[in-house]
Amino acid sequence: MVGTPVLFIAIPLMAAFLIPLLGMIWKELVRIVPGLVLTYLLILSINLLDHVLAHGPIVEVIAGWGPPIGINLVFSALSGFLVVLMEFLGLLVWAYSYRFKRNVDYEPALKYFLMLMMLITGSVGIVLTGDIFNMFVFIEITSISAYGLTAFYKGRNSAEASFKYVMMGSVASTFLLLAIMIIYAQLGTLNMADIANKIHLMNPTLKIVSYIFFVTALGIEAEIFPLNGWAPDAYAEAPGPVGAAFAGIVVKAAVYAIIRYTYTIFDLSGTFNFLIIIGMITLIIAETAAIRQEKLKRMLAYSSIGQMGLVMVAFGFGTEEGVFAALFLMLNHAIIKSLLFFSGSYLTYNSTDKKISEVNGMSKFLPITSLLFALGAFAIVGLPPFAGFWSKLAVMTAAADSNMILIMALVLIVSVVELVYYLRVVNRVYFYKKEADVKPKRPTVNALIVMITLGAIILLVGFYPDAVTGLLHKASAGLMDKTQYIHNVLSVR
Amino acid sequence: MKKVLVILLLAVLGYYTAVTFFDIGFGQPHFVAGVKPVKDIYLAKTVKPLTVSNAVTSIVVNFRGFDTLGEVTVLFLAVTVLGSVLYKKRHAVGERSVLFNASSIVTAGSKLLFPAIILLGAYVFIHGHLSPGGGFQGGVIIATGFLLMLLAYENYSVSHTALSIVESLAGITFAGVGLLGFMHGGTFLQNFLPAGVLNNLFSGGIIPIIYIAVGFKVAAELTGVIYTVLNEKGESNG
Amino acid sequence: MDSTLFSYLDYAVYGTAVIVMLIGFYGAMVKKSLLKIVIGLSVIDSGLNLLIVAIGYYKGGTAPIFSQGFLENFKSVSKMTDPVPQALVLTAIVIGFGVTAVALALVIRLYRHHGTLNIDEIKNLKW
Repeated sequence: MVGTPVLFIAIPLMAAFLIPLLGMIWKELVRIVPGLVLTYLLILSINLLDHVLAHGPIVEVIAGWGPPIGINLVFSALSGFLVVLMEFLGLLVWAYSYRFKRNVDYEPALKYFLMLMMLITGSVGIVLTGDIFNMFVFIEITSISAYGLTAFYKGRNSAEASFKYVMMGSVASTFLLLAIMIIYAQLGTLNMADIANKIHLMNPTLKIVSYIFFVTALGIEAEIFPLNGWAPDAYAEAPGPVGAAFAGIVVKAAVYAIIRYTYTIFDLSGTFNFLIIIGMITLIIAETAAIRQEKLKRMLAYSSIGQMGLVMVAFGFGTEEGVFAALFLMLNHAIIKSLLFFSGSYLTYNSTDKKISEVNGMSKFLPITSLLFALGAFAIVGLPPFAGFWSKLAVMTAAADSNMILIMALVLIVSVVELVYYLRVVNRVYFYKKEADVKPKRPTVNALIVMITLGAIILLVGFYPDAVTGLLHKASAGLMDKTQYIHNVLSVR
Repeated sequence: MKKVLVILLLAVLGYYTAVTFFDIGFGQPHFVAGVKPVKDIYLAKTVKPLTVSNAVTSIVVNFRGFDTLGEVTVLFLAVTVLGSVLYKKRHAVGERSVLFNASSIVTAGSKLLFPAIILLGAYVFIHGHLSPGGGFQGGVIIATGFLLMLLAYENYSVSHTALSIVESLAGITFAGVGLLGFMHGGTFLQNFLPAGVLNNLFSGGIIPIIYIAVGFKVAAELTGVIYTVLNEKGESNG
Repeated sequence: MDSTLFSYLDYAVYGTAVIVMLIGFYGAMVKKSLLKIVIGLSVIDSGLNLLIVAIGYYKGGTAPIFSQGFLENFKSVSKMTDPVPQALVLTAIVIGFGVTAVALALVIRLYRHHGTLNIDEIKNLKW
């Protein structure tokens, strides 16, 4: 083995404490070091994932105390897949925002890259940890960085958006702590596997209250209706690349937390139907809201919320096919929505309102960016032969297997709605005349490389889906097998 | 109308929360039958092998030390976010937004108290593994000392560079000691130093070292927060 | 202490904590001033912390510190209060502080931008 999972937390924290000192030596280092850290962690995560697929999950113990005494990290096929995805997207966001707008100055750049690195580290921590209170700590690390990144720009309404997010976020942490304390007061442990092992002993009423508090708290982070009031504003006001990080990294971590609680920890009946219902409501409301939006980033935000609703529905099937479809959706959503945010922020680079009408005729000035935006739009709607098609197909297959015909119809209807509002934007980009007062800005070389990489991945997954399906099947099998998870963790000494 | 709705919502929430915790029960053993709570293991292992007197410290720094690393990071991030949110391009160093006219009794008294407060804070975090208190509490006490000086003297200023150096070094010490645990095939945050004798200052292995680092870090960060907010000068359209 | 008093205390401590939390929620949801909203959020945190610490209490328990006096007079750890909630609440307090500091910084910036703390006059804060 080349390293251990704790390095995903320890190295970025070490670097975060070191960066202010390094910045005193050479100012450029505050931009370079986070990139180096993310590159190293991406390589490490790929190596570890390779090892895990061959030899089974790694359970790492911290401070020498085996579960349930100490905190442990679990690097399984599922968490490994998400960690690779997060580190990869994090690296791309870093490369894209190397000299993006306010990042030119020293002080803002220092804070920006610190917050970005901690956002990724917190999300990775949520995915890796095997302890509910430790997960709370990582959720707070993620949210505080997210508040700061949302309020990063001056002059716009970013402080308002961030304040909304802070309010929702503190309510979320209140509920999370209440739920954790109910479990601790009953079972006397905080380790996930140990809780899952003993959950049948718990008072049923308290179990339900605790589960509801957990889902309320995590639903705020995972943009589940009706708790997603913060999301459209935060996406619209945050810097463009940060929108991609929210959609690709933070939300994925929160969804992972919800499914970990639902599949592994709690043994309540009816939770899967609950996931389907909240997922469907979120999906319908978000997609109907997206079609009415006048600002590009708000439209992308609502589309992102809708996709999360669909992921919830797919997890709610409770079958291995359903989990596979949901994970495939998460992967596709992460790469495609990032591409849309990346290219979308160059299409509306110099405008203050980010109106959809301001992208008119951009294809003549930004041919590559426009082409990539169109590629992303077609892919997320689910047109063959792009990546999104296979995940939607997987959802349909899983729904058919579970005899949920209504959901198949719903997925088709939603795809049509998505097609309408994405085509509206692509149509404007290609076939409208440019508005006179809009000044296009050419993407920098690093931003262009990032976008082309993402576009290439979308095409690769589209034409050759087998590249990822094997891994996703292993990950979904790992999530379904609860006893194996408990055994893996508790057998470590 | 809105108030009525809010009160109704809160009544429901309050009712369920209260009933849940009344079910759990106050002041009596509340763990379900057949469960061996981890707190018994913690209490047993605090004396041996850790040789720490304060069980809360042993949990915070060793058993659940990873949480504390995250907690310190949250503080560090809060300072970073504060600096980012309140950042201004032309930042005049040493300019205060609020000026207080303190009488000579206050200024003289503060000068007298300041060393005592620092000493108390240092005492609290150095003895974190022996008595109530620890890095967080001691750090907060030290920060109140700086707050007192900032309130009493209008031209008192703390070097921002010094604060950020202390903060970084303390953080690196924590994470570095954690990484040193990998020596001899151990794990992150493994206690690799000799345990010493119970109720002695030099006991508990790496626990006092980490708590002293935490103390410095908390003190520097809270002082940084106070200083950033105090030097925040209002601009009409910042 | 006699046992009837304790049975009231049973409800009093949790009840107080929940009521403090509800007061905080009320303030955060109803008040118009940004500062009062932030104060409401930190009142919620206080109530929550009280609730968490109360879970760890046992009747007649001592502080979980193995001081010289404890080692000489008591032999068993069953007389100690639960140290885990105390350790957790330390983390929760620090995190609450961080969130409050960020919220106050945002309030400062909103005030700088709009010249008011009233959320009715800051159009994007209504929902």
